[in-house]
Amino acid sequence: METKALDHTELANQIIDVIVKEGMVDREKATLDATIESLDLKSIDIVMILTAIEEKFDVYIPMDGPFHEAKNIRDLIDAIAAYIIKEKN
Amino acid sequence: MAGARRIVVTGMGAVSAAGIGAPALWEAARDGRSCVGETRFARPYRGRIRISAQVQDFDPAAYLTSNVLPFCDPVTQYLLVAADEAIAQAGLTSAKPLGPRTATIIGTGVGGMHTLENGLYLTLVEQGRPDPLTVPRLIPSACPSMLSIRYGSTGPCFAVSSACSSATQAIGLGVHLIRSGLVDRAIVGGTEDCVTNSAMLAWEALRVLTPDACRPFSKGRNGMILGAGSAVFVLEEVEHARARGAEALVEIAGYGTSADAKDPVRPDAQGAAACMRNALTDANVEAGEIDYVNAHGTGTTANDATESEALGIVFGDRLAKLPVSSTKPIHGHALGAAGALELVVTIGAVRENIAPPTINWREADAKCPVDAVPNEARPMPIRTALTNSFAFGGINASLIVRRAVAA
Repeated sequence: METKALDHTELANQIIDVIVKEGMVDREKATLDATIESLDLKSIDIVMILTAIEEKFDVYIPMDGPFHEAKNIRDLIDAIAAYIIKEKN
Repeated sequence: MAGARRIVVTGMGAVSAAGIGAPALWEAARDGRSCVGETRFARPYRGRIRISAQVQDFDPAAYLTSNVLPFCDPVTQYLLVAADEAIAQAGLTSAKPLGPRTATIIGTGVGGMHTLENGLYLTLVEQGRPDPLTVPRLIPSACPSMLSIRYGSTGPCFAVSSACSSATQAIGLGVHLIRSGLVDRAIVGGTEDCVTNSAMLAWEALRVLTPDACRPFSKGRNGMILGAGSAVFVLEEVEHARARGAEALVEIAGYGTSADAKDPVRPDAQGAAACMRNALTDANVEAGEIDYVNAHGTGTTANDATESEALGIVFGDRLAKLPVSSTKPIHGHALGAAGALELVVTIGAVRENIAPPTINWREADAKCPVDAVPNEARPMPIRTALTNSFAFGGINASLIVRRAVAA
């Protein structure tokens, strides 16, 4: 569980770490503009990613609207980060 | 198929969140009365989602004797009570053994989940001694076995375990066994109760449970509601039923099944469409003859979009005008029993000529271009209906119900 304050870049990097590990994605391919489709991330992969994020940051992330509309890694990070920042504040 | 033996339903029964009896379930579905509420858990619950369509205030001792009860997980209790109703409606009795020409086929996704959970808690957490009847109670085949013992049905007897398609496959197999001539009668259906601490947590982990309301095919839908219960049907070859003066409630005209062979959790429109087409072919019915579809319609983002796409493949331009409703917001998603509960509803729709509503529906979703019969039941002529069940692992099953022709 992370306790120190996080800036957005650091948070984004940590989220990418989880996406790479849980989504079984090559790190070089996990750029902000990489589409979820191009990385072959399926809904169950997103579930695994969110579960790992919850463990890491001790937050609850409902899989609602923003996750279904996310097109690329940037959207995914923004959706996740929004919940982490909301809960941490 | 033309010239083949035809199969009718002569009795049905149910135990569900709507209470005891097939009429209670059908009326709740028809009237759009949700049976979802706060779950009562056996132990303190730490999950976030606490709503379900649980079977509540069910007293098994009021229906089952003390020599039977120790062998019964709640799933078997519901099943036997539902079966007693079906057997009585069919004009049969446990006093006269049904014999070798009767099959017993019951679908359940897990079997004795309560027994399993209680047994694990007792042995691993409390370090206690297991109940000696743990094994005979928890095995999925306890469900058909206890039925065969109760009614003396000595023909083929087995459980079907195909997750959320279990009951529909069990019913369909009963139809085919009778049609093949192997038996003349089958007691079929499904039963499930995964509304337990560990199973609810596991479903929550999959992120498919709605935190507020299940709204199939609607924009803004965010998941399903777990349900529980059982429904049982007596199937008979039509001449066999007629000869003993039994009333045919409806005909089960066809059964179709298919495997997506694609993904463990993600549904596939082609697989679902193939399943519905198999059922149409089996019933020798054209797509244009289907008046109403009782959808799998879980209320998850993925299922409803994929099922709509599959319906579009099968029904083409007719889709926008074809009433397709999901009654899962009313009785919950009963998993291995789902297809049985929904067959009760589909039979009610055909017998009363009313398409039950999809409640909680808010607004159209472009990804679900179906007529979901939103929020209000619709009286309309229903001669032939289709009901779908789709399961994790890509196992699909569909049944076609047709109005019974008067004897």
